[in-house]
Amino acid sequence: MLITCPYCGPRDVIEFTYQGDGNRERPDPVSQNFEAWNAYVYDRLNPAGDHNEIWQHSGGCRAHLRVVRNTLTHEISSVAFVRGDHGSAARSKAEDKP
Amino acid sequence: MVERQSPLEPEYHVGSHGNFEHGVEILLTETRPGSIVQLAAWPGEEKKLIAAIRAVAGLALPDGAGGGLSDGAKSAFGFAPGKFTVADEAEGLAAAFARVVTPAIGTVTDLSHGRTAIRIAGPKAEWVLAKFFAIDFALPAFPVGAGRSTTHHDVFAQIQRTGTDQFDIYVFRSFARSFWKALCHASEEVGYEVQ
Amino acid sequence: MSPRRADTGGRIDRLKTIRFTFDGIAYTGHGGDTLASALLANGVTLLGRSFKYHRPRGLLSAGVEEPNALVTVLKGEVREPNIPATMVEIHDGLLAVSQNRFPSLAWDIHAVNQLGGKLLSAGFYYKTFMGPVVGPLKGTRFWMFCEHFIRRAAGLGSAGSAKDPARYERMNAFCDVLVVGSGPAGLMAAKAAADQGARVILADLEPHFGGSANWSGETIDGAWATDWVRRTVAQLAARDNVRLLPRTTVWGYYDNNTLAALERVSDHKEQPAKGEPRHRYWAIRAGSVVLATGAFERPLVFPGNDRPGVMLAHAAERYANEFGVLPGQRVVLFTNNDSAYRSALALKQAGAAIVAIVDVRPQPSAEMSALAGETEAELLSGHAVVATEGGKALSGLKVQRFDMVAGVLSGDARSVHADCLLMSGGWSPTIHLASQAGAKAEWSAARQAFLPPKPTQKWIGAGAFTGSFSTVEAIAEGRAAGLAAAGGTAAPAALPSVEAIPGDPDPAPVFEIRASGKSFVDFQHDVTAEDVRLAHREGFVSVEHLKRYTTLGMATDQGKSSNVPGLAIMAEALGKPIPDVGTTRFRPPFAPVSIGSLAAERFGDLKPERLTPMHDWHLANGATMYSAGLWYRPMIYGLSGETVEQAYVREAKATRESAGIVDVSTLGKIAVQGPDAATFLDRVYTNMFSTLAVGKARYGLMLREDGFAFDDGTTWRLGEQDFLMTTTTANAGRVMQHLEYFLDVVWPELKVHVTSVTDEWAGAAIGGPKARQILAACVTGTAVDNATLPFMGIVHGEIAGVPVMVCRLSFSGEMAFEVYSGAGHGTHVWEALIEAGKPFGLVTYGLEALGTMRIEKGHVTGAEIDGRTTARDLHLDWMLSKKKPFIGSAMMDREGLVASDRLDLVGLIALDNRPLNGGAHIVEEIDEANPRGSIGHITACCYSPALGKHIALALVKGGKARHGTRAHVSDPLRNRFGPVEIVSNHFYDPEGTRMHG
Repeated sequence: MLITCPYCGPRDVIEFTYQGDGNRERPDPVSQNFEAWNAYVYDRLNPAGDHNEIWQHSGGCRAHLRVVRNTLTHEISSVAFVRGDHGSAARSKAEDKP
Repeated sequence: MVERQSPLEPEYHVGSHGNFEHGVEILLTETRPGSIVQLAAWPGEEKKLIAAIRAVAGLALPDGAGGGLSDGAKSAFGFAPGKFTVADEAEGLAAAFARVVTPAIGTVTDLSHGRTAIRIAGPKAEWVLAKFFAIDFALPAFPVGAGRSTTHHDVFAQIQRTGTDQFDIYVFRSFARSFWKALCHASEEVGYEVQ
Repeated sequence: MSPRRADTGGRIDRLKTIRFTFDGIAYTGHGGDTLASALLANGVTLLGRSFKYHRPRGLLSAGVEEPNALVTVLKGEVREPNIPATMVEIHDGLLAVSQNRFPSLAWDIHAVNQLGGKLLSAGFYYKTFMGPVVGPLKGTRFWMFCEHFIRRAAGLGSAGSAKDPARYERMNAFCDVLVVGSGPAGLMAAKAAADQGARVILADLEPHFGGSANWSGETIDGAWATDWVRRTVAQLAARDNVRLLPRTTVWGYYDNNTLAALERVSDHKEQPAKGEPRHRYWAIRAGSVVLATGAFERPLVFPGNDRPGVMLAHAAERYANEFGVLPGQRVVLFTNNDSAYRSALALKQAGAAIVAIVDVRPQPSAEMSALAGETEAELLSGHAVVATEGGKALSGLKVQRFDMVAGVLSGDARSVHADCLLMSGGWSPTIHLASQAGAKAEWSAARQAFLPPKPTQKWIGAGAFTGSFSTVEAIAEGRAAGLAAAGGTAAPAALPSVEAIPGDPDPAPVFEIRASGKSFVDFQHDVTAEDVRLAHREGFVSVEHLKRYTTLGMATDQGKSSNVPGLAIMAEALGKPIPDVGTTRFRPPFAPVSIGSLAAERFGDLKPERLTPMHDWHLANGATMYSAGLWYRPMIYGLSGETVEQAYVREAKATRESAGIVDVSTLGKIAVQGPDAATFLDRVYTNMFSTLAVGKARYGLMLREDGFAFDDGTTWRLGEQDFLMTTTTANAGRVMQHLEYFLDVVWPELKVHVTSVTDEWAGAAIGGPKARQILAACVTGTAVDNATLPFMGIVHGEIAGVPVMVCRLSFSGEMAFEVYSGAGHGTHVWEALIEAGKPFGLVTYGLEALGTMRIEKGHVTGAEIDGRTTARDLHLDWMLSKKKPFIGSAMMDREGLVASDRLDLVGLIALDNRPLNGGAHIVEEIDEANPRGSIGHITACCYSPALGKHIALALVKGGKARHGTRAHVSDPLRNRFGPVEIVSNHFYDPEGTRMHG
C-alpha cells in the first residue's frame, strides 16, 4: 500500500504509523462527561468502505495525515495534513505527484 | 578546541574494498560538518525562515517540499513542512541562527553532535541507496539540492542530493556505525573506496 | 555427445562442458542446460518419488510449474530442498540429490504405499490417526505417536539446519512500466513502452528472455524467432531507460501496483562474485504493469499419467528445440487440442519417431490431419490413452476408442509400444498475478480456461495470458499493451510478421479419461481423480473445502497444472458447470520464495543497533554489554573471576560508599521549544511545569488518555521557551510520537516544536558520597556546591575544555549528578570524570548495579509502568495535580482504577535468604502441589548490598495495607517457594537524606 504524503509524495506504508480513527473528538479537557470520554478513548468506527483515518508519516516528515481509505479495497481517496495547510512549501509536491 | 569523536571510527577503513578490482563505483566519506542545525517555522512563517537561511547561510532555497541547495561548504534543505536542516563546515551555526530566528518565526535546534553526515558518491550511488530506502533516487524524481526524509528499518535518515551522483545522508549518531557498516556491506558488490 | 542430445539446435553451448553430480553420480552437461535438460540428455528419466505413494516420477514439464522433479541442491553445509530441476541451471560443481526416497531413488521401500492405494486416499490421515476415544493413545496422542513414521514416509525434501552463509538483499525499484514475462508479447510491450521514453523494467523467471519464441520453431520477420528475440533484447539492453531482470520471478502483486520479485542473482554460478548476493528481493512500484505471463499446458487425467516418460507436449518440444534433447525415440501424443500437433512435428524434425497421435476429438481438422501425415504418425482420432506400462520408465501404453461427448470407452484396448507419451489437455493462462491483484477470473467456455479478470489495478494483459495463444496475437497485443501502459499513442506501425503453424486455440472439453487405475490430477500431492470424487461423496461441495481436504493444489507448485482439471472433475461430480464451482483465488507467492530474501539484511551483524558515545570505552574497559531494545549498555564491568552478582554488588556497594559513574546516554531526550512549551508540558504531565524556574529540573509523570501511567522522567528548563525532556530508554520513541500526535492533531494552536535530541547529548550519571568532590575537581566555569547546584538545579560549565551541563538529580538515591556533553565529546568528558574520580575510589557501574540501587530506593521503571498500573498503584498520586486537567486526568478516577484491591507497589524481603525471581507469583498460602491463589507478582529483584538481603519490588493486591505482613513466593516453573515479608517499596534511605546531602 502506498500513501501519498502531501509533503514527501507517495511512500510505502512501512513508513507510516496508524494513529487511529479520525472521527474521534476529544472532549473539552475539563469536561466531566464520562460517556464522551469513554467514546473518545474506546469507541472506534469499523466501516466496510471509506474510513476517516489518521496516519503519521513517522518514517518521513513525521506529519500527521488525515487519510480516507476504503477498508475493502485499500483505495485511498484523499490525504491531507491534519494540521491544515502548511504553506506553499508543502503544497507543490502534492501537485507534482497527483 | 577538543576534536569531536566520530562514531564510525573503529569501522572507518580508508582505502578500496569489496569487488574493486574492476574499478571503484562508490566513494564513501564521513563529511563531519562543524554545524548541523534544525530550523522549524511556525505555520505561516516559512518564508521568513527561508529568508533567515539566506541571510545566515547565503543559500536561497527554492520553494517547494524538500527544496534545497548546497554550495559545497554549506547545505540546506526542507525535510518536513516548515522544517529545514542546515549544515556548515564551520561550527557556530546554531548561535548565528538563534540571533535571526526570533521566537515569532520559529525554533533553532542544534544537532551538530546528534547527527552524523555520510556522503555516498559515484555511478552506483543510486543503486546502493535503493537497497536501503524505498524512495525513487532517479534524478528527475530527486533533483540535485533536494532533501528527503525516510527510514531504513529503524534508522531515520535525511538525504540531500548534493550532486548528480552524490548524496549526503544524515543519520542519528547512535545508529551511524550500524548504518555505515550496512552501507559498506551493500557497496561491496560494486567496489567502494572510503576516503 | 550423449545418446539423447542432438548434434545441433537449441541455445546450448556444446563447446562448454559442465560437470555436475546428481545422487552421487557425476554427469556432464553443456552451457545453457538446466538440471532437467542435462539429466534428460544423459538418459536419466527417474527424478523423484511421489509424495504419498512413492511412485517413480520423471519430468512432467520444462519450467516453473514442474511438480515431480523436485531436487535438493547442496551448497557446502546448506541444503535447499524442493527446487524444480527445470529451474536449476547447471554449473561446474553443482551437487543435487533426489528427494522422498529411502534408501535410494531406484529402490524405495515406501513404494509399497502404492499397494495400499485405497488406504491413502483423501482424508486418510484425518480419518485414521484420530485415535481411539479412550486408552493411552486416545485422541491426538495416537497422531503424535504415528506422526514420526508418517513424516518419514510422506513429504518432500528435508530442510537443513546449517546456518546459511549466503548474502541476500532487498532492492527498491520504481518504474513507469513493469513488464512481466518476456515472450513475444512481453518483448513487444517492453519495446513499445521504452520507445515512448517510459522507465521500463522487464522481468522473466527464466535465465533467457524470449519465452515461447525460444522453442516455438516459428519465424519472425523472416528469421528464426530466436534471432528476433536476440535482436530485440539487445536493443532493449542498449537503452538506459530499461532495466532487464532475467532469472526474476515476480511473485506478488500488492496494493497500489507494488509488486514483489525474486531475482536469483548467483544460484547459477559456482561462486558468487565478491559482495554479490545469492537472491535479491525486488520491491517494485510500477506506474503500470504489463502482464505477459503466458500460459501453462494442462496434463490429461488418465490411468498411469504420472509414469516417467509421460510429459507435457510443449515441454518435449521445448527440450528438443531449446536444449537439443530428445525425451524419447518412439513418441506418442495424446491430446484434446491442436497445439500438440505442432509439438509432434517439432519432435519429428528433431529426430524422433512419432508412433501415433491419439486425439479425443472424433474428427480433427484437415490441417491437423495433414500435420499428422507430415509426422508420419498414425492418427487415432476419437481415441484415448487408458493405461501406461513400464516400471521406472515408459515402455508402452494402451489405447481405446473414446466417445468424448458421452465420455465412454469402447472396443478393445490396443497396445502401443513407446518410450515417451506426450499429453496436452489445453492451456491455462497464467493469471496468478492478476488474481492476486484483486479480481475474480472468468471462465471461457471456448478456451476451457479461466481468463484474466477485468483489471482492478493498473495492469494490462497481453498474449497467451489473455487467452490469445498465437504469436501473431501476442505481438499485436504486446505492442498495444506497452503503448497503453506508457500512456503513448504512437502511430500504427507495421508489426513483425510471423510464420507459424496454424491451429485452433480451443480444446475439446475433455479433462479425464475414466478407466481403472490411478489417474493423477495433482502430481505433487498425489491427488487422484478418485480422491476428488471421494471428497464429493463425503460432502465437500465448496472448492475451498475440496482443496483443503484433498490438498489438491496445495503443494509447492500451488496447482499450476492441476487446478483446472481438478475443478473440472469436481464440477462433473457436482453436476454443475465449471464456472459455478468457481476457482480459488491465487495468493502470493506465485512460486516459492527464499526466506533469506525476505529477511534480507535484517539479521546478524547488519541488524540496526544503537551505540552510546562511550561504547568503545566500555568495551575496552571490561564491560559485558547487554542489549536493551536496539541499544547496547554495560551490564557489569566484571573483574576477572567475578560472577555477575559479585560484580554488581561490588559496583553498587562502592557507589554507596564512595562514588560510581554510569552511562545514561540512552535516556530519551526531547527538545520541547516554543512560546507555548510550558503550557504544553502542563497538559502532557500530571504535575505542573509552567511554575518551574529556568535552570531547574523536575520529575514528571505522564499518563495515557485512558488514565494509566505511561512514562516518567525529568524535564529541565533550559530557557523560558526551551525545555529538555528526558524519557525512559525504552519509551523514547513512543513518548515522541505521543507528543507529536497531540501537537498535530489535538492542539494545533500550540506553538511548540518537539525534536529528538537523544543523540545530541552524552550523559554520565555520577553518584555517591564523593560525587560532588569529584565534580568539583574537574568542572570549571561554575561552582557545584549546594548553593549553586541545589537538588534539581542545573549549571553550565566545562570539563577538560568542553562545555557541559550538570543537573543534580538522583536515581540511585545518592547525592548524584547527571553530566551532559555534546555526544562527540562524550568519551572525552567521561574519561576526565574517571580520572578526576581516581583519588576518590570512583567505580564504573552497569545496568545491574543501577537496577539494584533503584530497587533499594523503590523507584519505578518500565517493569512497573507496564501499561496496567496507575499512578496510585505506584504511589505516585502525589504527582497528580488537582489544579489543571492533563492527559489522562478525565479517565484516571474511574471505579476500576481506584479500587482498593488493585495491585499496588510493595517491597519484598526474602525471609529464607534465597534469591527471588522476576515474574514469580505472590501467594498467601503455599501449595506446591497445586499452585494457586496469586495475589501479585515480582517485577524486579536483586541482592541488596545495602540491606544484606534478597529483595524485590512487587505488585500485590491491596499491597500497601499488607506492609509488615508475611506472604510467600510461588514460582513452580523454577521450583522456588518460600516466605517473604511485604514492606514499603522504599527499602533504603526513605527520607532521602543521602541525595539531598
